[in-house]
Amino acid sequence: MGKKRKHSETAAVAVPKKDEAAPERPARTLLGWKDKSEVNGDDSQVKDVELDDSPIFRNKEKVLVTCSRRINFRYRHLMLNVVSLLPHCKKDNKVESMESKGATLNELVELKNCSSCLFFECRKGKDLYLWMAKCPNGPSVKFLVSAVHTMEELKLTGNHLKGSRPILTFSTNFEKDAHWRLLKEMLLQIFETPKDHRKAKPFHDHVFVFSIADDHIWFRNYQIDVPHNETDKLPRGGLEQMNLVEVGPRFCLNPIKIFGGSFGGPTLYANPLYVSPNQVRALEKRKKSGKYAKKIKAKTRRKMHEMSNPLEPDEFADTWKE
Amino acid sequence: MEEHLVNHDTTIGGEAEDLNEERSASESESESDEDVKLTEPSKTAVYNRDALLDKLGDISWPENVVWIHTLSIDIDQEQEVDVNDDLTRELAFYNQAFEGTKQAYQKLQSLGLPFLRPPDYYAEMVKTDNHMQKVKGRVLAEKRKMEEAEERRKAREAKRLAKEIQAQKMKERAKQKKQDIESVKKWRKQRQQSGFADHGNDADLGFDFEDGKSFERSKGKRPGVSPGDRSGGKGKQAFGKGKTQKKREFRNSKFGFGGRKGMKKQNTADTTYDVKGFNKGEGKGNKKRKR
Repeated sequence: MGKKRKHSETAAVAVPKKDEAAPERPARTLLGWKDKSEVNGDDSQVKDVELDDSPIFRNKEKVLVTCSRRINFRYRHLMLNVVSLLPHCKKDNKVESMESKGATLNELVELKNCSSCLFFECRKGKDLYLWMAKCPNGPSVKFLVSAVHTMEELKLTGNHLKGSRPILTFSTNFEKDAHWRLLKEMLLQIFETPKDHRKAKPFHDHVFVFSIADDHIWFRNYQIDVPHNETDKLPRGGLEQMNLVEVGPRFCLNPIKIFGGSFGGPTLYANPLYVSPNQVRALEKRKKSGKYAKKIKAKTRRKMHEMSNPLEPDEFADTWKE
Repeated sequence: MEEHLVNHDTTIGGEAEDLNEERSASESESESDEDVKLTEPSKTAVYNRDALLDKLGDISWPENVVWIHTLSIDIDQEQEVDVNDDLTRELAFYNQAFEGTKQAYQKLQSLGLPFLRPPDYYAEMVKTDNHMQKVKGRVLAEKRKMEEAEERRKAREAKRLAKEIQAQKMKERAKQKKQDIESVKKWRKQRQQSGFADHGNDADLGFDFEDGKSFERSKGKRPGVSPGDRSGGKGKQAFGKGKTQKKREFRNSKFGFGGRKGMKKQNTADTTYDVKGFNKGEGKGNKKRKR
């Protein structure tokens, strides 16, 4: 019964769709025009939608931030720092890092009405993986996080308003490949505080840096320190006197894989140069191992060598024997 | 921490090669293709460009989004960053942030909206005041440490200089002395040769200063110093410095360092008659007990 109805619906939709192809397609929006146009069907409404959508773009991003159980304190602090930087995020309880965590997380995101998710997964108490996912059906990325410095470190002396919208800077090598472009878009959507968010403050006093170096994404956060008297314009030469003070946190993301769905789905990208930290450790260990075996081998080799070339008989051996 | 992590990459490659050499002699080549990953990309890696671009199209914001929504700026990285060099790497990031901020502020300024924080706008900050206090303390401590080190260095320098000057002086003095002695000898010889024209005695006496000791004060006991005084009467000289100071000086002279102790701790005729040290309030206590 259900099937039948579906068939008829699609057939009905197919007819107006042909007409639709003739006028210009509406620009894509965040929520996806595909579903809307299919549901609504006729042209006039599509046009209305277009008129409404294109000038008034509302960013309604909400980010769920959680971590796995047994995360260590340093990584937990990193997560808390990220939470303090993103006023549009919701922090949730720790999630058990199991095989089925993807499903759990998807459910959680659904429950919290979020549109993306940052999941800090700590393995073995020392390796931190960061999952970045666009939630209902967006892609998801798994990163290995390294070079972590939290905001608590006293070397990072800057400070800025909590919830002020950051200026994002990307290095241009984000444009050089498809997966970098996708990552850039995800970073932009997740890390940019929506305009007029109720927790956001209306001033801009810090700047994020996303830079690709050595195929890793490096993150920095600087406070902007500029002398000024007015709120809407800089004094003359103010830009020259500007200086930046690092606030933190610092981390470095190494993309491992990009999946088609959120927390799962087909693999769209796998980093060809990636070596897991487990392998690194195994290599180190293996290098240290086999000490005894080596010793034995050296001994036998020496023996063989001695056997194969024996010493010549000493001609002076019995000079003092008389 | 950072260095360590960054260096991983380089070490991995090196170790892998070492390992290969080792293992090629002994056993299996099955794993050898695993650890070459960093030097050359693995063949099993997936790269589905079309799907990636499709996804990008799905999630991306519309093309014509106003810049105020994204606030994002692309900055060209002039050259490849050497990741293992901390300083240049951080500098590159700083430059990126700096350039980006410049451009963004110009754009924001052109929009005409308030974007700079007014000085009387107080709100919650990312780091608490408590934490910032700590940061400040650390910065100050570092500054102080630097200053101290600087001072110490200066003092050392000054000492070295003073030593040099002193050595110079000593040398000069020795030279002068030698010269004087020489001249005197010459003079004597001359006199001897001339056959002692005047009376000989007074000439010899006249040159007592040769060894330079005639002007020094003798270190023996001075007149008018009490037997218990180790400072040689200096304790009594300190007048006009307040009562406590005087007392301290006296005590120092009596109990301070140096000299023999045996004689000083015994009573003499003077000290037995001296009742200065007795407790004056003792009578009071007795009264209390009576009541």
